[in-house]
Amino acid sequence: MSDTNRNRLMLVIAIIMAAIYLFPLYWMYITALKSGSEMFATPPSFWPSEPQWGTYTFVWESRGMGRYLWNSLVIAFGSVTLITVLGVGCAYVLARYRNVWVDIGLFLILMLQVLPASLMITPIFVGFSQLGMLNYPRLAVIIAIAAKSMPFFVVLVRATFMAVPQELEEAALVDGNSRVGAFFNIVLPLARNGILVSAILIFMQAFGEFVYSKSIIQAVELQPASVGLNSFMGPNTNEWNRIMAYATIYVTPILAIFVLLQRRIVSGLTSGAIK
Amino acid sequence: MKRLLSSVRDGRGFDIVLVAFPLGFLFLMAGLPLLYNILMSFQEVDMFSLGTFLRPFVGFKNYSDLFAQPETWPILGNTAIFVIGSIAGQFLIGFGLALFFWVNFPGASWLRGLFLVSWVMPGLVVGAIWNWILSGDFGVLNFMLRETGIISGNIFWRSDPNYSLYAVIMANIWLGTAFNMILLSVGLASIPGDLYEAAELDGANAWQRFWTITLPMMRSTIGAIISLGLIFTLQQFDLFAAITSGGPNNSSNVTQYWAWDLSFRQYDFAKGATISVIMIVFVMFASVVYVRSTRHEVRG
Repeated sequence: MSDTNRNRLMLVIAIIMAAIYLFPLYWMYITALKSGSEMFATPPSFWPSEPQWGTYTFVWESRGMGRYLWNSLVIAFGSVTLITVLGVGCAYVLARYRNVWVDIGLFLILMLQVLPASLMITPIFVGFSQLGMLNYPRLAVIIAIAAKSMPFFVVLVRATFMAVPQELEEAALVDGNSRVGAFFNIVLPLARNGILVSAILIFMQAFGEFVYSKSIIQAVELQPASVGLNSFMGPNTNEWNRIMAYATIYVTPILAIFVLLQRRIVSGLTSGAIK
Repeated sequence: MKRLLSSVRDGRGFDIVLVAFPLGFLFLMAGLPLLYNILMSFQEVDMFSLGTFLRPFVGFKNYSDLFAQPETWPILGNTAIFVIGSIAGQFLIGFGLALFFWVNFPGASWLRGLFLVSWVMPGLVVGAIWNWILSGDFGVLNFMLRETGIISGNIFWRSDPNYSLYAVIMANIWLGTAFNMILLSVGLASIPGDLYEAAELDGANAWQRFWTITLPMMRSTIGAIISLGLIFTLQQFDLFAAITSGGPNNSSNVTQYWAWDLSFRQYDFAKGATISVIMIVFVMFASVVYVRSTRHEVRG
């Protein structure tokens, strides 16, 4: 078999496997377009006979999705900002030095990265309620997410800083820059892409965060879309087309960002988590 | 004062400032809760004593009460099944896919990256989709299994105690496979190609090459991925909230969901803290294994 034929065969198999793997996603999009009766048809239809585009506007208005998504955005932007401001400098110092203290700091950060949110929420909730933080529930969630996700961010960004040649910074210092100047004028611009990709990853995580928001935010008008989806799915629901429409509106922006920046996100992710 | 300022601007002080704030923040928001958790597991905590630090100490009563409850051991067993089942599924499918995409063909890396959508989606959405796929009467999975003759009657994945845990495991395998595959691909790509050429010259077939070169060379990657898998599976909460809520009758309950349920549904914060402490010890153990297996890389 020639090389081109082999390549074509492999590509076809790969596409079939990707199609099987991504079937749940397809099923979400298709179900959202089905009518109430078509959804429960046996055998199920794999292509909607009469796409019900009206479901989207109905769900958007009846569930108040604008407010939910706005809250998700506020929480995601807040956490990313806090994490970036605090995490970048930390990652830079941990990348620049090699000594026992750096090893200890890295070890502690890696340990904090692994604490499950659903286990940490008990002490965080009790502590926040004692401090009166529960009166500012979205801020409380932002802080909790920042504490949870910052270690991951530091590990990813540290890998980026490791790739910036130290000679460039030293040259800038020789030229009369201060440390602050060299950091902001030389090192940061060179690491910009890696920081941006890591921030996007953190943003996507925070946009879908559930445990902290569900536990801390009691007021419906402050809850993010993940909590809204959870309360939409009652135990005996049969509005699956509407739930899938909700899910579609919720994830499509994330999927779009991911597909556009896929190559960068994948390489950024792999450089930090494991070499 | 002036020396301090110039040190911050142009010396060691700059590094210390950069590191002190984030580490202080992490200590306040992750370290202290950890200690507070341990403290609460030795206290009596209820709705009335929530606002005070000086609660009555009860020694190991929370722990002994916990293990006297009939559901504790089944839930711990469920957690073990969930972890082992998820990791085995994610790893084996992920490794298979990584080996397939290792054969370089045009479009391979783009298609491989596409698999990661399962990982970037919010957990609640993944749970909602699987909840609908696994539905008993109208679920598409039951339809496919019926059509292919694997089952004759519908399986009620979410409400049958024999299947509910496996319903969540299935969704979790789907969620985590892509991540495993990407990391395994990176490991595979770092094996030097001339090893295979040499082995081929020596007459080793594909099967022998896999067992004598690929697997041994991947050992530290595999160790890291398994421990990362353990860490991620013990963090999995959203799928339980979206698919079974731990039910029916705790048949699909696992410790990380139970701890939350005790604290926020039954307002028994002391029990929730007690389970958290037990589980965090486990997670810490896994992370030590993870850090050890990536140590060479961490040091660069």
